[in-house]
Amino acid sequence: MTSPREVKGEARKMGLIFFPAFDWAITPTHPEREERLLYTRDQIFEEGLMDLPEVEEYKPRLAEHKDIARVHFCIPSVEALVTEAHLIAAGSTLVLADAYMKGEINNAFALVRPPGHHSMRVAHGNRGFCNVNNEAIMVEYIRRKYGIRRVAIIDTDVHHGDGTQEIFYHDPDVLFISFHQDGRTLYPGSGFVDEQGGPKAMGRTINIPLPPETPDEGIHYVLKELVLPILEEFRPQLVVNSAGQDNHYTDPLANMRFSAQGYAKLNEMLAPDIAVLEGGYAIESALPYVNCGIILAMAGLDYSNVREPDYHPGRFSMSRTMEANITGTVEYLQGVWDAREELTAKAVERAGPFFRRHKNIFYDTDGIRERQTESVKMCPDKSCPGYMTIDTDAVRGYGQSESGFGTFVPLFACKSCREEAREEYEAHKTDSRYNYIFFQDKNRDEYRLYSTRMHNERVY
Amino acid sequence: MLIGIDVGGTTTDAVLIDEGKVIKTSKVPTDHDHLLECLMAALDEIVLGIPPEKIERVVLSTTLITNLIAEGKTDPVALIIEPGPGMNPDGYSLGGEVQIVRGAIDYRGREIEALDEDQVEKAAAKIAERGYRKVAVASKFGQRNHAHEERMRETVMRTIPGVHVEMGHQASGRLNFPRRAATTVLKAAAMDEYRKFAGEVAKAVAGRRIQAPVYILKADGGTLPLATSIEHPVETIFSGPAASTMGVLALTPTGQTSVVVDIGGTTTDIALILDGSPLISSEGARVNSYLTHIRAFAVKSVALGGDSRVRAVGGRVAVGPERAGPAFCLGGPEPTPTDAMRILNLISIGERNLAEEAMANLGKKLGCSAGEAAQTVVDAAVEILIREIDEMFLAWEEEPAYRVWEILQKEKIRPQNVVGVGGGSLGLVPLVAERLGARGIIPDNATVANAIGAAVARPTLTLTFRADTERGFYTVAEDGTTGEIRDRRFGQKEAEEMAKRLIIERAADMGIGEYAAEAVLTASEVFNMVRGWSTSGRILDVSMQIPAGLIPEWTGGGRG
Repeated sequence: MTSPREVKGEARKMGLIFFPAFDWAITPTHPEREERLLYTRDQIFEEGLMDLPEVEEYKPRLAEHKDIARVHFCIPSVEALVTEAHLIAAGSTLVLADAYMKGEINNAFALVRPPGHHSMRVAHGNRGFCNVNNEAIMVEYIRRKYGIRRVAIIDTDVHHGDGTQEIFYHDPDVLFISFHQDGRTLYPGSGFVDEQGGPKAMGRTINIPLPPETPDEGIHYVLKELVLPILEEFRPQLVVNSAGQDNHYTDPLANMRFSAQGYAKLNEMLAPDIAVLEGGYAIESALPYVNCGIILAMAGLDYSNVREPDYHPGRFSMSRTMEANITGTVEYLQGVWDAREELTAKAVERAGPFFRRHKNIFYDTDGIRERQTESVKMCPDKSCPGYMTIDTDAVRGYGQSESGFGTFVPLFACKSCREEAREEYEAHKTDSRYNYIFFQDKNRDEYRLYSTRMHNERVY
Repeated sequence: MLIGIDVGGTTTDAVLIDEGKVIKTSKVPTDHDHLLECLMAALDEIVLGIPPEKIERVVLSTTLITNLIAEGKTDPVALIIEPGPGMNPDGYSLGGEVQIVRGAIDYRGREIEALDEDQVEKAAAKIAERGYRKVAVASKFGQRNHAHEERMRETVMRTIPGVHVEMGHQASGRLNFPRRAATTVLKAAAMDEYRKFAGEVAKAVAGRRIQAPVYILKADGGTLPLATSIEHPVETIFSGPAASTMGVLALTPTGQTSVVVDIGGTTTDIALILDGSPLISSEGARVNSYLTHIRAFAVKSVALGGDSRVRAVGGRVAVGPERAGPAFCLGGPEPTPTDAMRILNLISIGERNLAEEAMANLGKKLGCSAGEAAQTVVDAAVEILIREIDEMFLAWEEEPAYRVWEILQKEKIRPQNVVGVGGGSLGLVPLVAERLGARGIIPDNATVANAIGAAVARPTLTLTFRADTERGFYTVAEDGTTGEIRDRRFGQKEAEEMAKRLIIERAADMGIGEYAAEAVLTASEVFNMVRGWSTSGRILDVSMQIPAGLIPEWTGGGRG
């Protein structure tokens, strides 16, 4: 199917869902609380943005449990892991996805909370304020429902979008680019230049760590010199902005120097089809202005009058060292992108019949420590991404351990991979080392969860 | 005895109600150039032979302001805005003379940029030079802190002798600056004409020795004492559809969900009553090209009426949107839905043989009999109405929501009743009801339902209270009242109590104190403000209202 991106031209509206979840918080004093989008509400409503002929406001809906199961292995279950607020945030992206794919709107912004980009395929709880990954849920919904294949997700949050990266790491059709404050100085401590994708998808993950205090200029440089040229070559059918707002110079949880003008210009340059809000916790000094700027930019309107009260152009500049650091990173990553085919060939050869990696994952919000072993079949069929299994074991606090074994069949897997994966699932149902056995079959759009304690199976 | 008078586009309708029963009705043609005379003619007819002391209440619904605005006959107004950061203010469509000044207030009412007084002075001088006598001043977030608006007003008054200045925060305190600015302009524009009209009405009523209080109907179905309404001239626009909807509320069983279909000659107005409450539009009304903050019922106007022109277009029937004249069976030039209904015996007005002729002619073009043509026309009209009603329910269901509970509780609702008022309803409403699986109701006195609605509507009032305990003050959105809050432990309970006290005071100020007990809490939210990981204060939002409803004299009386 042709995506609306390929037939653009006709002037249409931007779609907007504003879902501040005024009645939902992680805890009363957590940054992810009711108050987060209160002043943003005041600003964008006072501006009268919803009255503009260029803006169409949509109503959120709940995502279905199946939409979550299409992406995540939720332990102990989808129902137990998500609240209604999570289903609404995810559901909002699906409403906009449908409106966009049907051509009702030119682009869309899901200005919703709670966020999602730290959620990985296996979800034991809340990690980095996220339970389920809104962008991944939306992308897999669109790919399933509308049959498009090539998607680019640009993560512009100040934190590395490690969850989204992990979910699409082995998928050569999803280009994941994240720029963020250097992981040596900020949560989650990952997103280095050598995280480049699984063996069959080398170069489809691009991480751009930026030095603390990078201003607008630095991020626009990265966009212009690296991100946009890569997008040009990758020719995605859908571009998603995983749109955090915590690069702002006043954000309390990070150290960058980005402004509302910078954010508006970023969205104008990137021209994402759908933007989804992620982090951003300077709820008074940044968010009202940043969101106003993004909405105006995406609606094709003049945003030059949007500015924070204490901002003036030229307030922040780059040092020589910072500039050298950024140009160096960009140059290196251009090399990775250009060499992606050779890198893929080498990585596949090195991996042997199965690619394996071990991961230790910490859930900061819920205090969970998880150990994972991921194994991907290096299918001899070049066009088959191979099936994947994940062995997971998680300890919550000092308490009990939950373990699971998941098998995942990607959309374009070959017949023999599909069969082998199914056998893995069936075989593990009797494996009492695990509490939960999962199966994701994207081809059949069928998602199974088997409890070895209760001996029952749920099918989503 | 209660009197209701609705000045409609074509006729001015009046009713006299005694002990919950309509005992007299009258209709006189509306003369748009002499509205007061029409009103009084209708009033005189209805009170003929009634001792004036027996009259307890007079309510008027008038198109005066609607007409003045539509015809551009209101006073010219210059606008000075302080937009602050945000959208490019050139993008606002506020028309006319707009001066922009520097300065800014933020969402919490903090001054983030001082007002440029020199600029205000220069703007005022320019406005004076161009001969304006009315000025509106509006500041973005002026409802959270109106210091800048007050200073702009002072400067303008100093610069232009005899000028009248309206401030944004007194026109509306709701979020949406462009709407607030437009509402302020309209208020300033209509103020004098309306004051003149209200004075004449009061004089004319007093001249008839009627001592009863006189009220005016607002677009949200509420009444306002004539004397207080002078401060709120634009709230009286679109009171016509509000009158009809209140009439239906009065004439149908309580607490039900109904579609109100008011079919006139050229247009049909559709409104919704959900579980006994008329649906208010979530946004303010649109007045000509202006989007405003004026509270109004959600009414959909469809270009379809009993007199709509019917044509055959490419072998199919097209109904409306224009009217060529009266129905053919009433001596008009072209076939209409009325003719179709006539020969199907759905109605009994007009000449049957003329209706036959109209439908036979149409049938010829469609290749069918007169009867079949009539059925096709009626089906097409019903189809249009069904589609519009469905769209209205859908639009209501699809209204954005910002809270988890709102998303979870909103269910699909379909009407129990389709209630027809207005001349064209008789034939079509039962058919529409049947298609929707609802009960079709044409109430007794359906043709004066609007006047009944006016007569028995009670006052409405809203109060939107916000407290910011960190900054130590509260604001009331409706009239810009602000005050201090000293107690740092001020919480939800205190906020709700304070809002209740304020709405009682406000009701007394408006002259509707006896209805204050009807006020209900519609929303109450607390936002803990956390700065540096500890709670530094709270923002408390409390909304109260006296919703649209009927006065006890009616509800206690004639409804069985």
